Amino acid sequence: MIAGATRYGRMLGGLARYTLAREMAFRGNFLVKVSVELLWMGIMIAFYRTVFGKTSSIAGWSEPDYFFFVGCFFALNGVIETLFLENCNEFAELVRTGDLDFLLLKPIDEQFLISCRRIDWGTAPNLVMGAVLMAVALVQKGWEFDPTRVAAFFATFACGVAIAYSFMMILTSVSVWMVRNQSLMEMWWLFSSLARYPREIFAGRGAEPLGKFFTFVIPILLVSNVPANVMVRVLDPRMVAWTAAVAVASLWVSRRFFQVALRSYRSASS
Amino acid sequence: MKPLDALAPIDGDLDLTASHRPRPGFADSMVKYARIFRVSLIERMTYRSDFLLGTILRFLPIITTILLWRAIYEGSGQAVLGGFNYREMIAYLLLTNISRLFSSMPGLAAGIARDVREGTLKRYLLQPLDLIGFLLSSRVAHKVAYITMSFIPYAGLFYVCRGYFDGFPDALTMAAYAVSLILSFMVGFYFEASVGMVGFWFLEVTSVLYIVMTLNFFVSGHMLPLDLLPQPWSGLLKVLPFQYMAYFPAVVFQGKIRGVELALHLALELFWAVAFLLLAKGLYRAGLRRYSAYGG
Repeated sequence: MIAGATRYGRMLGGLARYTLAREMAFRGNFLVKVSVELLWMGIMIAFYRTVFGKTSSIAGWSEPDYFFFVGCFFALNGVIETLFLENCNEFAELVRTGDLDFLLLKPIDEQFLISCRRIDWGTAPNLVMGAVLMAVALVQKGWEFDPTRVAAFFATFACGVAIAYSFMMILTSVSVWMVRNQSLMEMWWLFSSLARYPREIFAGRGAEPLGKFFTFVIPILLVSNVPANVMVRVLDPRMVAWTAAVAVASLWVSRRFFQVALRSYRSASS
Repeated sequence: MKPLDALAPIDGDLDLTASHRPRPGFADSMVKYARIFRVSLIERMTYRSDFLLGTILRFLPIITTILLWRAIYEGSGQAVLGGFNYREMIAYLLLTNISRLFSSMPGLAAGIARDVREGTLKRYLLQPLDLIGFLLSSRVAHKVAYITMSFIPYAGLFYVCRGYFDGFPDALTMAAYAVSLILSFMVGFYFEASVGMVGFWFLEVTSVLYIVMTLNFFVSGHMLPLDLLPQPWSGLLKVLPFQYMAYFPAVVFQGKIRGVELALHLALELFWAVAFLLLAKGLYRAGLRRYSAYGG
């Protein structure tokens, strides 16, 4: 078990170095990619600054709290995009062309190879940018250091990544049946829009059940809400426990789903 | 590229006769582009289930946007922000989706740049087919297929959200709205085609494209009405052509621009469409002089 984990760890390290070397071969491109992310963050800040110019709170979130949330989502999404998004995005094309055969033949876990084989270093700085935004928000809020909250934040952040990854794997697996034409990137952007805002906006008739649905049935709302909440708002142990349980369960479900999907792969046109 | 592969027999037919025949007339030309239209339409319908899933997912951001703005209005305690009340704001944001339905051109610029980089642009040079004309007619096909298939879900959405609207505007405003949408398609198409032509000078344009598209998302008014921004930004962005890709058609429908101002803006929108058309054609001509047809 430990030997296996070390082997996969080493392999991930090797893949990371290899993709970094590739990325650095086109440094200009890398810089442009990073500037796109910076620009996007700038746009998000401009948007919310404009909004907070007209109001002092959104769904009970004050400006610094809200910016912490935005930073948290930005960082979390950065991790997902760096590690998994590009890999999963290529999956449909592998299915369509039949090139998936070559990956399945390798003596290594298919899910690991399909979802982790390339690291997109261009989005890695998002983690830093998100962290800076979170730090600025904490300073503006006058946040006092609390080790329990910090520990809970890191734990739920990791759970958030696990949950988001699981949803992405499920969306990716669907392409075995659909032989997708549209990009997963777009699908992911649309789906993850649910996690982009505080859960509290799901208030009022009709929206509240929807908020509960996306917290307890398809728990995508846990992804960035719980880490941001435990850090700057309420530290609810029940919510933390629920998030941890969902993380484990969603990893298991997505793995099963992926394996079922692979069984339907027909290896056409290879 | 799929549409091109599917076109092979038609291209072959044109190839055989082109040298023996006088220049095809207008009607022949139209038949040619009508065929491209048909093939693209068929191609578009190949991945139906994927298309359906994408359409369903497309509604999620709409729901969250409505909820976010409701929270913003409730938080502000004001009825009107930047000249928009809550209902108008939601109506505006829904309408920008219709604007983008017409003006967004996914993959257009990247496709042109790829044709240049990989040398497949040669097809257009060898055959009696204009690159921009080809792309335009296949894009119109994609848009027709997309808009037709999205019609029912969008009609459903607007029906559910009818409370945010004060019914349909008068016939004249509707006509102006239709014109503004068609022109927004033209502005969007020729703008992105121009960006794609940059591929003649820089081999890799996807990154530049991302910057342009990301900026466009904000400056076109897709995220929020430009009136909400503080001056001078609001005034500045209303001078630029990007507002015609999202903001302008939406406020036309809402009747926020009327009379002489409306006519003036429609004329300006036409001006930008023609300006980008000329720019795209100019860049294409200049680019061809540099083009060395590697690969392909």
